[in-house]
Amino acid sequence: MAEDLVLDTAIRDWVLIPLSVVMVLIGILRYFVSKLMRSSPTPDAKMVKEGQVVIRARNLKVGANFIPPRSFRTRRFYFTNEENGLLHVPKGEAPTNPQAAMFSDPNMAMDMMKKNLSMIIPQTLTFAWVNFFFSGFVAAKIPFPLTQRFRSMLQNGIDLSTVDVSYVSSRSWYFLNLFGLRGLFSLILGDENAIDDTQRMMQMGGFGFDASKSLGAEKDGLDIIQHEWALPRFEQRAESVLRKLVK
Amino acid sequence: MGSVEKRSKDVMSDIPTFSAENLQNNLKVIQNSRTFLSIIAGVLAGIIGFNGLTGFVFYFVVMLITSVGLMAKAGFSADLYFDSLNRVLFDGFLGGLMSFVLFWTFAYDLVHIF
Repeated sequence: MAEDLVLDTAIRDWVLIPLSVVMVLIGILRYFVSKLMRSSPTPDAKMVKEGQVVIRARNLKVGANFIPPRSFRTRRFYFTNEENGLLHVPKGEAPTNPQAAMFSDPNMAMDMMKKNLSMIIPQTLTFAWVNFFFSGFVAAKIPFPLTQRFRSMLQNGIDLSTVDVSYVSSRSWYFLNLFGLRGLFSLILGDENAIDDTQRMMQMGGFGFDASKSLGAEKDGLDIIQHEWALPRFEQRAESVLRKLVK
Repeated sequence: MGSVEKRSKDVMSDIPTFSAENLQNNLKVIQNSRTFLSIIAGVLAGIIGFNGLTGFVFYFVVMLITSVGLMAKAGFSADLYFDSLNRVLFDGFLGGLMSFVLFWTFAYDLVHIF
């Protein structure tokens, strides 16, 4: 039966709006808390040096075609030289697995744990709160129809099976808010820190600044480059540009 | 809404050079505009009372309008400001969808059901 249910105004006042407001506030709170709790780890001098070398090598790769061939070759030699080139890591002293180092380093582990906790705890708490207080009634109607299979997911507290699937419980309103407020946060909180949970969880997987591998990769990258000087006759070009300006 | 787009590419040089910082700024501008417009579109769709598929069609229409607007702002020569044309047109489409659905549901319920 697809007739329109008329829902109590009190539901709107005391369920929908407070839930959204609470979630927005918790998001803002979490942002500020994570800002306060961000501990600055003392950087390891060797890692920083290697990082900078990698950055320099990358700059060389990007700008390779703008410098005359000989200067490019000199620079490349400086980096990839077999004896004392910066990027060449002798096989014997490849650094130990950085992942292991990272986990045994107490600072890093604490940081990761803090980030994880600050994400999971408010979500769990809010979810439990929603379940406790707001279960057992129809909370909202979603404007588009879904198939019957979603019924068990969306209509969790409602025990009638003849109600249209569009009428959902407050749990699904919670999930809808969870995903939909990401955009709002990115507008309110400024651009960089509009991190949402799913993105962070994906980032957690690929960690590990593996120094030796990246150095080796950069070295190979530099070796591969064919230098093609892109500004071979720039004096003539400069002359023509200036002439155009003067005319 | 800051919609200043800076040139990422220098016209004079024959080789493509990009100023990474400007490129990133331009992308951020696109994302902001899309998010904002998807929220507004959600509220509008809810108030008008779109149902089902019509609402999603409305969302795509608004996204297309956004693309056209951005192209107009960029003077229709997108490769001055972005590295690939597809980015301008299709970047934040699905990201705004969830916000659109949330605000659509919200407005629809406020106006029609309660």
